Amino acid sequence: MASYFRDIYRAIKTIAIGMGQTWKAMFRPAITLQYPNQKWELPVNARGILFNNVDDCIGCYKCARICPVQCIYIDTVKATADEDLGKASMGNPIRQHLIRFDIDMFKCCFCDLCTIVCPTECLYMTDEYENSVFSRDNGIYHFAKYLPEEARALKMREVEADMEKAKAKEAAIAAKKKAAAEKAAVPA
Amino acid sequence: MFGNLFKKKRYLFDDEGTMVFDMAHSTGKYYDEAMKKLEVESYQGDEMVVNMGPQHPSTHGVLRLELVLDGEVVKKTTPHIGYLHRNFEKHAENIGYNEVIPFCDRIDYLASMNQDMAYALAVEKLIGLSDLPEKVEYMRVLTCELNRIASHLVAIGTFGLDVGAFTPFLWAFRDREKIMDLFEWLSGARLLYNYIWVGGLAREVPDGWFEKVREFLDYFGPKMVEFDKLLSTNHIFIARTAEVGILAPDLAVSYGCTGPVLRGSGIKWDLRKDEPYSYYDRFDFDVPVGAGELGQLGSVLDRYLVRIREIDESVKIIRQVLEGIEPFKDQDVKAAIPKKIRPAAGAEVYVRSETPRGELGFLIRSDGSDVPFRVKARSPCFSNISVIDNISRGGMIADLVVIIGSLDIVLGCIDR
Amino acid sequence: MTPEQIHIKLHEKFDDHILEFNVEALDPYVKIDPAKIYEVATFLRQTSELDFTALMCLSGMDYGVDENLGVVYNLHSIQHNHRITIRVDLSRENPTLPSVETIWRTADWHEREAFDLLGIRFEGHRDLRRILCPDDWEGYPLRKDYIVQEFYKGIRVPYQEDWMKYETLEKNPERGNFVFQFESKVPELIESAKNGNNSDHKPEGSTDG
Repeated sequence: MASYFRDIYRAIKTIAIGMGQTWKAMFRPAITLQYPNQKWELPVNARGILFNNVDDCIGCYKCARICPVQCIYIDTVKATADEDLGKASMGNPIRQHLIRFDIDMFKCCFCDLCTIVCPTECLYMTDEYENSVFSRDNGIYHFAKYLPEEARALKMREVEADMEKAKAKEAAIAAKKKAAAEKAAVPA
Repeated sequence: MFGNLFKKKRYLFDDEGTMVFDMAHSTGKYYDEAMKKLEVESYQGDEMVVNMGPQHPSTHGVLRLELVLDGEVVKKTTPHIGYLHRNFEKHAENIGYNEVIPFCDRIDYLASMNQDMAYALAVEKLIGLSDLPEKVEYMRVLTCELNRIASHLVAIGTFGLDVGAFTPFLWAFRDREKIMDLFEWLSGARLLYNYIWVGGLAREVPDGWFEKVREFLDYFGPKMVEFDKLLSTNHIFIARTAEVGILAPDLAVSYGCTGPVLRGSGIKWDLRKDEPYSYYDRFDFDVPVGAGELGQLGSVLDRYLVRIREIDESVKIIRQVLEGIEPFKDQDVKAAIPKKIRPAAGAEVYVRSETPRGELGFLIRSDGSDVPFRVKARSPCFSNISVIDNISRGGMIADLVVIIGSLDIVLGCIDR
Repeated sequence: MTPEQIHIKLHEKFDDHILEFNVEALDPYVKIDPAKIYEVATFLRQTSELDFTALMCLSGMDYGVDENLGVVYNLHSIQHNHRITIRVDLSRENPTLPSVETIWRTADWHEREAFDLLGIRFEGHRDLRRILCPDDWEGYPLRKDYIVQEFYKGIRVPYQEDWMKYETLEKNPERGNFVFQFESKVPELIESAKNGNNSDHKPEGSTDG
């Protein structure tokens, strides 16, 4: 019986100590923020939505290759000898048309690997973190500045050039074979 | 109202007819003595199979328990896991060594730094990389210990929630936010940092960061005293936890329990002390173990107290790091990062390190290419939760909630 | 004890069943006959000089499409603070070996995991069920020749990037969405990165200058 009342006494006493702590907390300033109206100040390198400054992008595929979830889609077309696409702001020459630079932000895992490997520092994470959208399509960000028709034309140009090259190669091989056959035929 | 309550009171008598068990005192020594004297079978009624989880607030994630109950007494617990299975190991076989690190973050998302550290240590041993810059090693220890504090704060906060104390949870999260802010400033992310890399760190330490850490420590010290007053010394809390979920030391070792669960059972085993990695041998700190002062050894309360004391030890380590790093502040943290990670074919290594939840081991095998051939993560929670059937048997279903809380599981870590 | 001394101890007891001992490896290992694993494990656990109280890790291995399967036991003794790795090789057709679940209780779930992900059968295990995957999952995901099943209970399993196909210019003109009939280069690039020419790769057009 004595232990029963001792237990009750101890319980009340220790709860009172704890309550004293919470009572003190009542007079401390609030640490919460009223979110949509007040916003947290993010540090410089905070990870938000990815942004690519395509003027500086040289289409090196480094980000697409290192991405662990493969959410960056790049397509480039090699510039011909007479085209001059200028230089990126860090001095790297741009040698290809970036006809496609898409990032699927739904797949992005915000690991920051792509921005670290980027040689021209054109791909970076903004401090924008409210990226909920109404449609699935809007979560896919397109950064390439070519119009679809231009892009298609550039791509066709490359494909045609490749086909011509292949044809020339075939012809060269055929010519070689022919020459070899003739050579073999001469002594006989 | 009270009349009904008293009518429902349930007493148990042993062979001689003396009362040994009283429902009103279902915790505490009455309960345990009764359980020892009266086997569970002696008041056997109809068995009932109850499903607990996977969507249950007290299972700390998507853990499903299949319980065989006799009244309120648990006769058998069968955990069903795998609801969060992402097959990290298969992922790792398809991407390069460095790209695995973001996935390592997600094994145990409450202590990402420690996971990165374990993986980085394993790969460094695999490629024979040693003698990293002092700043890197010190920063690794610093971030790991900060993350240990953050993780333990979640553990004890949610544990308080499990036993019915709501305020400690909010207070723990308030202080954890401060650590999250420090990490956000350091790495850019609040939870999944991808900060510790093989051979170095992902980013330079920002100016003024160490001062902020010092400020945090000065702020945090008194908070733990408050926390003790609020929860640790509460009589109801002690009565609820001190003799529940007893895990015997030999059983803990056999089940592969590690971390605070093992140390709560009185075994002084901490990899930071016994198999020192990184710079842990340079610091002076204690390994707290459960002593069973307030109840039985290896109880839920012991595990909780070990975590509380470990926080103090971590603070101690961080203060030493802040002193030790002073001469090396100008070093380049990216200097030793290898350009290409390509270990010898057939090399295999098992490296473990101490995370807040226990030993995280990585077994990595290489076939000589840029991608790992096999990565096996031996997660601490996976082994810790497997003991639950053994320690919950014969207890009350309400105690099961407390036991799960004391094991401090993270389902991402169990399922991987 | 050093790995050499542990090996000598093992060699005295299980002469013919020790297949290989490698001390140069990063983790020195002893390769043994899979049929004898239970006896060896009992010996390692119960001999007082060895006293391997803890099974740190039990990992199933697949050494390649045409190679063997295997199991790796990383053992550690808390009392003596020494460690050893035990390996066994299993045939791909019939990967069966005795269970050590009764010696170290932690092996219970680790063996279930190895069974689940690699299809290694542990004889004498009291509760050998799948643990991480659902019970009716097909195949063993960590095998190197694993092909993921097309449908699981009517749900498509492999991830498909449908958006690349259906997005057209007409759908969302102001955002500039458009579709190419040509496939993206990314998959093959990742393929080539995997084959080893990772850092040697240069962007097209950068070679001439």
